[in-house]
Amino acid sequence: MTHRLLCIAALAAVIATPTWAVTKTLELPPDGTQLKPSPLPGYEKAQANCVACHSAEYMLYQPATAARAYWEAMVKRMQQVFKAPITDADMPAIVDYLVKTYGNEQPKP
Amino acid sequence: MKQPDSLRRRLVIGGAGALATVTLDGLAHAAATVDMPMANGRRNLVAYPEKRPLIVVTSRPPQLETPWAVFNEGLITPNDAFFVRYHNAGLPGSIDGDRHTIAIGGNAAAKPFSITVAELRTQFRPVELIAVNQCSGNSRGLFSPRVTGGQLANGAMGNARWLGVPLKDVLARAEPRNTARQVTFDGLDNGVFGGGDFVKALDVGHAMDGEVMIGYQMNGADLPFLNGFPVRLIVPGYYGTYWVKHLSEIQVIDREFDGFWMKPAYRVPDNDCACVPPGTAPASTRPIGRFNVRSFITSVSDGAQLRAGQAITVRGIAFDGGQGIREVAWSSDGGQSWREAKLGDELGRYAFREFTFGFTPAPGTHDLRVRAFNRAGQSQPMEALWNPAGYMRNVVESVKVTAA
Repeated sequence: MTHRLLCIAALAAVIATPTWAVTKTLELPPDGTQLKPSPLPGYEKAQANCVACHSAEYMLYQPATAARAYWEAMVKRMQQVFKAPITDADMPAIVDYLVKTYGNEQPKP
Repeated sequence: MKQPDSLRRRLVIGGAGALATVTLDGLAHAAATVDMPMANGRRNLVAYPEKRPLIVVTSRPPQLETPWAVFNEGLITPNDAFFVRYHNAGLPGSIDGDRHTIAIGGNAAAKPFSITVAELRTQFRPVELIAVNQCSGNSRGLFSPRVTGGQLANGAMGNARWLGVPLKDVLARAEPRNTARQVTFDGLDNGVFGGGDFVKALDVGHAMDGEVMIGYQMNGADLPFLNGFPVRLIVPGYYGTYWVKHLSEIQVIDREFDGFWMKPAYRVPDNDCACVPPGTAPASTRPIGRFNVRSFITSVSDGAQLRAGQAITVRGIAFDGGQGIREVAWSSDGGQSWREAKLGDELGRYAFREFTFGFTPAPGTHDLRVRAFNRAGQSQPMEALWNPAGYMRNVVESVKVTAA
């Protein structure tokens, strides 16, 4: 019964509009990961800057061999290419947090 | 209520030894992860809109990898399993599939015009093509030494039946001038702060080759939102970076476009192998282009246990950048000796090509390898090639099995 009503409603929609308008909407699931908490001063700055534009997997899944030069280049790219409002003053602390949390300056386990 | 341990299942879903652990976690809530075959390789499996649970490379913007088992289910990759790769998180909340408009112009177009998708579908003759789309960085996570970027295994590829209109016909209406050098493509996805807009370019001769198309259907249905609804560029044989999604602006221009995503991004060493010695930087680069040759066993996973003396049919897929696959050779001794696999029907020069071979394992371990050749004689290297961005991996894969 419900199914038949739906069919009638669909048919009515086809008749009412000259073309079969399909609108798709997008609602993304929440981020699956968060930045790793750290006492380093760059942690809060990374929270305020990095994850405004992208989720934490961008850092979390990088190989642990990623060196300081990589993280520095990425933060610079975010500021200069993507226009992320990261101040020059905040950059060293953010880079330091990233390389020591996700890169090759992580403390040895 | 606590679930009994018997409900905790482990499923093998990876072709290269990836293990998926699916934990049934109480009331209709399944938290699933998968261990990809690389260090730091644990990933979430999450169902995004219009998608089955896929491997989350990044949540936002979405980058989703296809679980390997899908490639053994058929030569066409289902829409709900097709990989997703965005560069920017500024995505529209909704798109009207009829009224969405593409603006065509640029300083080398004499007659700029705009067209809705509804008009595009009715004013041009549609064409259909089965073609592989593959991410430039597919398999990047398997590079050794490791490289930075999206840490993908082999699942950032898919083969679909695309329906669209030839780009050539649409561009012709804009009357390109003879000063035209390149054509640029932009979509509705934007950088959150306005920078880094994802714009790509093709040489005008390529854009006008009659094969590049504006696609509006995939496997008989509207494109999934995350695969570019309602229209995306289809560039047969070329890496996915050129397959611009939610296509909204095309410009015919009289110069070489040098936006970030053409330069310095998405470039490979400018030499025959697109490779450099591991850990070194190339002297010069060029924009990434056509796929190289690849082949994969899909029916047997690395680490599989087989029954000795029992004949099985091993199946897999091969593809290249458009020459078409001529031959697939297989080896069970790590590449010491080779035999010819049987090729399946060709769905098109740009499509996955099935191959099969019979294999009756003796007791012991076996290193199964497949190596495809295209019609130009190009093949796959036995040792992986390397470049700093982790593009174009196409090494002969190894699937080690044990028979007892």
